[in-house]
Amino acid sequence: MEFKDYYQTLGVAREVPADEIRKAFRKLARKYHPDVSKEPDAEARMKEVNEAYAVLSDPEKRAAYDQLGRAYRPGEEFRPPPDWDAGFEFSHHDFQGADFSDFFAELFGRMGARGHGQDHYAKVLLDVEDAFLGAARQISLRVPKVDAGGRVALESRTLNVKIPAGVREGQLIRLAGQGAAGAGKPGDLLLEVHFKPHPRYRVDGRDLHVDLPVAPWEAALGAVLRVEVPGGALNVRIPAGAQSGRVLRVRGKGIPAEPPGDLLLALRVVLPGADTPKARELYEQMARDLAFDPRAGT
Amino acid sequence: MSDEELLTLEELTVVCAVTPAWVRVRVEEGLLPAAPEWRFSAVAVRRVRRMHALERDFDAAPELAALMADLLEELDALRARLR
Repeated sequence: MEFKDYYQTLGVAREVPADEIRKAFRKLARKYHPDVSKEPDAEARMKEVNEAYAVLSDPEKRAAYDQLGRAYRPGEEFRPPPDWDAGFEFSHHDFQGADFSDFFAELFGRMGARGHGQDHYAKVLLDVEDAFLGAARQISLRVPKVDAGGRVALESRTLNVKIPAGVREGQLIRLAGQGAAGAGKPGDLLLEVHFKPHPRYRVDGRDLHVDLPVAPWEAALGAVLRVEVPGGALNVRIPAGAQSGRVLRVRGKGIPAEPPGDLLLALRVVLPGADTPKARELYEQMARDLAFDPRAGT
Repeated sequence: MSDEELLTLEELTVVCAVTPAWVRVRVEEGLLPAAPEWRFSAVAVRRVRRMHALERDFDAAPELAALMADLLEELDALRARLR
């Protein structure tokens, strides 16, 4: 395990007073705030900053860390000496094991063994197609495990989970008994479903939005088109005189939840290029023969 | 939303590392939505985590953290439509 220099993470000197540490933390918390930060590694950096602040903002933890840290350089191989924390009293109830590093867990992770299993909560990123067909996923969880000495270590655990068809963006799935096992019955695993961005599909609740490019004659004359959607292809009738931007709703063909969502097809008229003599001739003929002004009435 | 799986208050507090009292006050003040019988959706989980982090990191008043969460939720919705 590598030694982590929490002072370096916050960009402050070792001897700075507590309010300087708070100021440095807030500056970085704003910079790496995951909702607004443009930094590519914002989430990872925010975790490091949070971890550093959790130690350095707590006088007891900071004192224990300072005593320990004098002998180490950042990145150096590190093993905490036995009873290194003797004489310091930590409040362990604020331990958020899964969010912090192994280094933190090793130092500050001592806490009483829990009597029952814990629920676990994780985000799972699915393809839109998975909502139609269901999916199997492997999920890695970092689970705090309490050893015989009451010390906590983070353990990686891989779970095979089955995602049922019909899940929606932001939905919770509860997998009973798949959370962390404690002394009693294991808790549930709770998964929050999100979909990866897809070039053609967009999910909104249980509705599926799809862009549907159509030729000018298909839009003008009407047509029956075969449209590929994750649940399989279906035939869709385009009404004559449809304009670009018109949205056709096909009831019940969205995500197969209970009740199912709708499929929303946004028509986009695509013009063929006038790049052959024949195509030019056709456009010129339309220009001559059709009394058409797209700006009439605007 | 009949098929929506919801969290109990206890599960929410474990998942978000907050106390039940913290949640109760904010629900009663109307800063945090709860389904009937103190049940919470994934949207509430995200909101609790955001509000809690803002209050903790910046000593923000709960009302200010809730206002910021409102704005971030709107931003999420607009970004989703841009995709």
